[in-house]
Amino acid sequence: MKINFVINKHNVTVDVDPSMRLLDVIRNELHLTGTKEGCGEGSCGACTVLVDNIPYDSCLTPIANVIGKEVMTIEGIRESKEYNVIADAFAKMGGSQCGFCTPGMIIATYALLQSNPHPTDEEIKVALSGNLCRCTGYQGIINSVRLASQKGEKND
Amino acid sequence: MINHFIPKNLSEALDILSNHDCYIIAGGTDLMVQKHRSSGLLPTFEKDVLYISNLEELNFIRSDDKGVHIGATTKYRDISSSELVPQLFKDVISELASPNIRNMATLAGNIGNASPAGDTLVALYVLDAYLVLQNKESKREILVKDFIKGVRKIDRKPDEMITEIVIPHHDLHYYWKKVGSRAAESISKLSFLGAYITKEGIIKDLRIGFGSVSITVVRNRDIEKQYIGLKIDEFSQQIPEIIRKYDEIINPITDQRSTKDYRKKVAMNLLKDFLTKIK
Repeated sequence: MKINFVINKHNVTVDVDPSMRLLDVIRNELHLTGTKEGCGEGSCGACTVLVDNIPYDSCLTPIANVIGKEVMTIEGIRESKEYNVIADAFAKMGGSQCGFCTPGMIIATYALLQSNPHPTDEEIKVALSGNLCRCTGYQGIINSVRLASQKGEKND
Repeated sequence: MINHFIPKNLSEALDILSNHDCYIIAGGTDLMVQKHRSSGLLPTFEKDVLYISNLEELNFIRSDDKGVHIGATTKYRDISSSELVPQLFKDVISELASPNIRNMATLAGNIGNASPAGDTLVALYVLDAYLVLQNKESKREILVKDFIKGVRKIDRKPDEMITEIVIPHHDLHYYWKKVGSRAAESISKLSFLGAYITKEGIIKDLRIGFGSVSITVVRNRDIEKQYIGLKIDEFSQQIPEIIRKYDEIINPITDQRSTKDYRKKVAMNLLKDFLTKIK
């Protein structure tokens, strides 16, 4: 079935089974490999993308559900000025080690700071509670989000 | 050959259901896991699939004298930010799964999935919530407790779909506890919801529900009724008897998430804690 949607601000048509996971369309049809597959069952957040600006697990989303919608992956986020602030903060504060969870962490951070530019540590923890990291122990990530929030404020 | 249907509106969806036995997918957060095989492979649906996530007609929250009506495609994200939804229900949702899943998943889906560990089900039983099921010709209403027949067994005919959930208004004080391995993304080891109303020192309403301790939520109206109408000091003296009565009917199992002994012990401790806090 031909399915139309928007990916990273470009209209796209894919001819796939409607039950195909958005994750597989992104990685295998559109060859955007920044989005990672961790658990494949909605527990780790590595496959997080934005659908109409809301974070979704792309491993649980049948492509049928995004018809006509705007999907943003880490490749799209990278074009934003917010990305530079967030990525810089993750680099400075040790928010990324092996890097596998990082695209999902950055998208969760981006979505949090869009809706809540000055989160408390508790709000950061809740916003990232669906994103697992095996390396950092999370403190570096929380510090990164806090720094990104402060830097973003200066850039406003 | 499996058909995939992506209807444009409710009437088209009901037409399709009148001719095809379908899995109904809203957010997909349960079915896409259950039917998943391996990375890069399509999910294995053994019958037709109807995708309703984008049916805006069913994306609503409104309130009238019957209660709060929540549409079948309304996401948890919108339920938990609505001023119309009771705080008790928002508290339950705030501990459910993860932010991404709350952005995608629906209440109707949690009910349709009928998992013994479905987090919203305890609250829906305790609040006497009911569903509206619709087919091409008609609508019917059914209490959530009657709709759920067992583990993943529901009283839905192939031509029907859940179109809305109705949560009656209430004035209950409540005591909610979900017990899981971590704060986010855990499937409950057990959950407990106690609720009551007292007025001028008398118990006017008492409701007690346990999740994940049986194949469906445990709520026993016969036990509850015996204590409604008592003065609070009389009620306090009855607490050991109430605990004995629930002790007889709570029979959890051991599975990968917890043991029957742990579940039983914690369930009874939560019950006792709730009962002693009623004032």
